[in-house]
Amino acid sequence: MAAYHFGRGRNRLAPYLFLIPGILLYLIIALGPSLATAVFSFTDATGIRGAPISWVGLENYREFLFLGQASQDNYAALWRTLKFMFFVTTIQFTLGLVVAILVNQRLKGTNFFRTLYFMPVILGAVIQGLIWSLFLYPLGGPMDNLWGFLGLQSEFFGAPAPEAFAWVIVVQIWANMGTTMIIFLAGLQTIPDEVYEAARIDGANSWQVFANVTWPLLTPSVNTNLLLNIIGSLQAWQLFLVLLGYRNGTQVLGYLIYAVGFGRTSGSVTSAFRQGYAAAASIVLFLLVLVLGTATQYFLRRREERILG
Amino acid sequence: MSTTQETRRPINWGLIASYAVLLIFAVIYAGPLLMLVNTSLKTLPEFMKNATSPVASLNFSNFAEAWTKANFPRYLTNSLIYTVSATLIYAVTAIFVAFPVARGYIKGANFVLTMFVIALFLPPALIPQFQLMLALGLYNNPVGYILLFTINPIGMVILVNYIKTVPKELDEAAALDGAGYFQFVTQILFPLIRPAVATVAVLHAIGIWNELILPTIYLTNKDYYPITRGMIVFQGVYGSDWPTLAAAVLIMTLPMLLIFLLMQRYIVSGLTQGAVKG
Repeated sequence: MAAYHFGRGRNRLAPYLFLIPGILLYLIIALGPSLATAVFSFTDATGIRGAPISWVGLENYREFLFLGQASQDNYAALWRTLKFMFFVTTIQFTLGLVVAILVNQRLKGTNFFRTLYFMPVILGAVIQGLIWSLFLYPLGGPMDNLWGFLGLQSEFFGAPAPEAFAWVIVVQIWANMGTTMIIFLAGLQTIPDEVYEAARIDGANSWQVFANVTWPLLTPSVNTNLLLNIIGSLQAWQLFLVLLGYRNGTQVLGYLIYAVGFGRTSGSVTSAFRQGYAAAASIVLFLLVLVLGTATQYFLRRREERILG
Repeated sequence: MSTTQETRRPINWGLIASYAVLLIFAVIYAGPLLMLVNTSLKTLPEFMKNATSPVASLNFSNFAEAWTKANFPRYLTNSLIYTVSATLIYAVTAIFVAFPVARGYIKGANFVLTMFVIALFLPPALIPQFQLMLALGLYNNPVGYILLFTINPIGMVILVNYIKTVPKELDEAAALDGAGYFQFVTQILFPLIRPAVATVAVLHAIGIWNELILPTIYLTNKDYYPITRGMIVFQGVYGSDWPTLAAAVLIMTLPMLLIFLLMQRYIVSGLTQGAVKG
């Protein structure tokens, strides 16, 4: 412990005393409930106040993973969650990198472009979703006109499930690419100009400069962005709520947990709150995030050692 | 980019390509917003006739209509109360955790910090949190709702890292001058860490303002709805009246845009720091 200057004896307790509210709030609202998710996953808890809660052992997990059509739907949602993660991560990562490199150049107007691309991040799912519902208005909205011009036809969010799902991916990327860009930008700005100049003097072309200088030196931001995108997209589902609702063939795991746990599977609050079952589903999602997050981190560490020695 | 002096400057294809890509993205990012503004100024028949056409004459009546019909004054007030009070409670309690942790003035300082970071990797607290609020009778209760937003692990990490950059000698000097612990934190430390507090507070506040899931879970009384939930209800009723709906969305968007443009520096620094350190 560091030397303390603000008194001795009873006065020495001041840091502890003032720390209590923050710690208590954290334990009661965040850490405690988070750990208790595992406990609730072994119960038949409902959303009724004072209703008895009893242990059901692994029953929720058995039902989630092995019981009839519902478990088939769960696997479909699981697979969809992985698809969502894959497309969002790869596209958002790539576009974020390209745009960051472009706005990092000494060009006029880069501040404007940065601000514009970053702006949706702070708007939140409700505004992001409603703005895109209008932009993709299927009866003569801008995108509908463009589609017609290209000889295509789409109902966008009203289209069959796989297509509607794809449009949510588009909005998700539109909404969050700014964060990826900003993190890459912070990484790019740590690369000194001299390194680029040295590469140019050695006769490297633009692609060689990128492949041999920018990309390896960007490793910290690559790691951060990849992990953030993977974990973030596995857990993201708010846009589904705003754009599609709980629609068959489009649910991802996060939405399923919410809908089952808080009785929103039928669109309105009518069905029962299956909180124990939802807690078990939360643990499944948590394990998915844990496994994929750890594997990614392992892969990134090894890559970093290879590149940076 | 290239600084070579030549008599006839060659066409810089790289520059042209850069601007072309930046402009395409600009259209994708600004387009939906322009559509929103354009629609909000139209009448419904105008919109039905041609949804995309530029507005012919400015018609601001949608805003007045949305303002009253969407119950905006109530929802906006609720959102403001939730956001301001939860952010205040969070900022004050977090500073008093971050300072002794950063300085090592408490036993197990590192353990406390780890405990905060670990929450980022644990299962979602959604279900037990609900059971807890239910048991405490804080369901459908604004106070309970505010309590849910009084923690933020990433903000804690940012605060601790920032406080570490404040020289320790300052503590000793202030103590010699007779400052007590509380006095030091509130009157000497706080002004020095204001940029970090601003960053953390803005990010936290934006998160609360935009929250949609928790109000659908915890608030059943319409009088308690924040603007996000109110907006979804309004969409349910006025879903086909896009001009009015667009005006409502715009009313909801403007405060966020304003905060964004004023506080962009803090938001960006918070996101990059939080990402790199977290």
